[in-house]
Amino acid sequence: MQNSPLTAKVRKDFPILKREIHGHPLAYLDNAATTQKPKCVIDALVNFYEKHNSNISRGVYTLAEEATEIYEDGRETVAKFIGAADSGKIIFSRGTTESINLIAAAWIQPKLKAGDRIIVTEMEHHSNLVPWQLAAQTSGAELLYWPINLESEKSGIGSLDLQKFEEMLKDATKIKQGIRLLAVTAVSNVLGTVNPIAEIVKIAHSHGVPVLVDAAQAAARMPIDVARWDCDFLAFSGHKIYGPTGIGVLYVKNERLEEMQPFQGGGGMIRQVNRQTSTWADAPQKFEAGTPPVAEVYGLTAAVEYLSDIGMQEIQQHEIELTNHALKRFAEFNDLELYGPQDINSRSGVLSFNLRNVHPHDVAQVLDESGIGVRAGHHCTQVLHKRLGIVASVRMSFGLYNNTSEIDLLISELDRCRQLFIE
Amino acid sequence: MTKPSIYRDLLLEHARHPKNCGRLESPDLRATAFNPLCGDELELTLAVSEDIIQDCKTKVRGCSICQASASMMSDLILTKTLQEAEKISKVFTESLTKENEVISESLDSLRPLIALKKHRSRIKCMKLAWDALEDCARQNQT
Repeated sequence: MQNSPLTAKVRKDFPILKREIHGHPLAYLDNAATTQKPKCVIDALVNFYEKHNSNISRGVYTLAEEATEIYEDGRETVAKFIGAADSGKIIFSRGTTESINLIAAAWIQPKLKAGDRIIVTEMEHHSNLVPWQLAAQTSGAELLYWPINLESEKSGIGSLDLQKFEEMLKDATKIKQGIRLLAVTAVSNVLGTVNPIAEIVKIAHSHGVPVLVDAAQAAARMPIDVARWDCDFLAFSGHKIYGPTGIGVLYVKNERLEEMQPFQGGGGMIRQVNRQTSTWADAPQKFEAGTPPVAEVYGLTAAVEYLSDIGMQEIQQHEIELTNHALKRFAEFNDLELYGPQDINSRSGVLSFNLRNVHPHDVAQVLDESGIGVRAGHHCTQVLHKRLGIVASVRMSFGLYNNTSEIDLLISELDRCRQLFIE
Repeated sequence: MTKPSIYRDLLLEHARHPKNCGRLESPDLRATAFNPLCGDELELTLAVSEDIIQDCKTKVRGCSICQASASMMSDLILTKTLQEAEKISKVFTESLTKENEVISESLDSLRPLIALKKHRSRIKCMKLAWDALEDCARQNQT
């Protein structure tokens, strides 16, 4: 069977899938970078500009009230989507990167002291490393790396060892080192590893360490429940969950909101402005200076509703089936090195690999000639790639419209790479 | 090849059997270039006397296009002066950025590379060796 029931249902919702690339149907397998947009999201953007466009808040005319309602309804829809209705607030940003930078600037930087540590993992995307480096550098704090497993025992290659994390926290207590935060991804954008966030947060909290979760990959791939995970912060992007670019989400637990300084100054984030000083609006507006991306929030809301209608459980199940198929196909070839867990229970549909003796750029270019879109490079994880001892890799990552025949096409086109580059 | 491919035979030949590979033990000039987009690295070592490039080696950790470009460059710049080599590099860069530019005769052997200029993402791969060459030329001036 080429299409699962889900794929058969959703493919027609995505206009771009009608495109041909070099005379072939588009096989879009770069969903970890960005996802394609269903018609309802594209329509929402057009709709907003054709029917509701105006600035939010203060306007008392009809359009302004509609725009305000669209924006605040979007906040509620997103909160429900990640189980955040009671435990905290949703702040809109430009994307995962800005969400994390916001926490780095508004929450951690003011309280960091020399000698403090921020724990990150070796599998983090640059957007969950560099903001912490910048914050640490201003105060003489440092990053501590929670290493990934490279041995196949324990929970598998490319996973995080919880015991190791406990040890790091205990060692820090012994020398009275302040661990200010754990910043960890829910799903690796290279290895595909699904990290046990609820367990990780439990351990961190038992040592008084708050946790920021990068959910950029997870948000489109599995149900998210921040109340159950109990994380302090969670960030993701609209464009990776079938929504527009330029819109991101930051969830902050209520207790942490109190500890946060403003991020950017400007309109909308103030209560009163005097000549020399100002007072701040309540959260979340306190962290949303300037005219917000209203159309993008409308588009994001449409995407979230689209995903909720299908059901994140069903989307996750579809991805497990694709991943299972890919793992089986990869196992047929001994010149394919797949990075990350082999066990379906601890990984998602993000698969990075190398074809022996062929550079990932060359693989991606040859695949493009058959209409297959995959990514080649370090995928913004230079620390991880160095740890794996490689410069770059090819990455295939699934979305809800992908099917097993696209995986089979990729596998068969790898033969062309072998013919071209290996004598 | 059964399908049209951007990999011309000549390019593949250079990528598979690159010329002037490795590094000179005591070079007069040395430069490295790095592609932050993919992590590829290249080291260029030159032996220069009286401004003439007597020997040239490149050590490449990169894709076929990066490797082929380095190989073609080494072929082209050997026995030329650093100034001439730098000039070729500048003309080559221009030919990659300008539309429908008539290709200068001095770049004849680089045609397979220039043919790939519409693949914007691969221009940095082609340019890596030449970036290192221009770095060497700059070092020589100071």
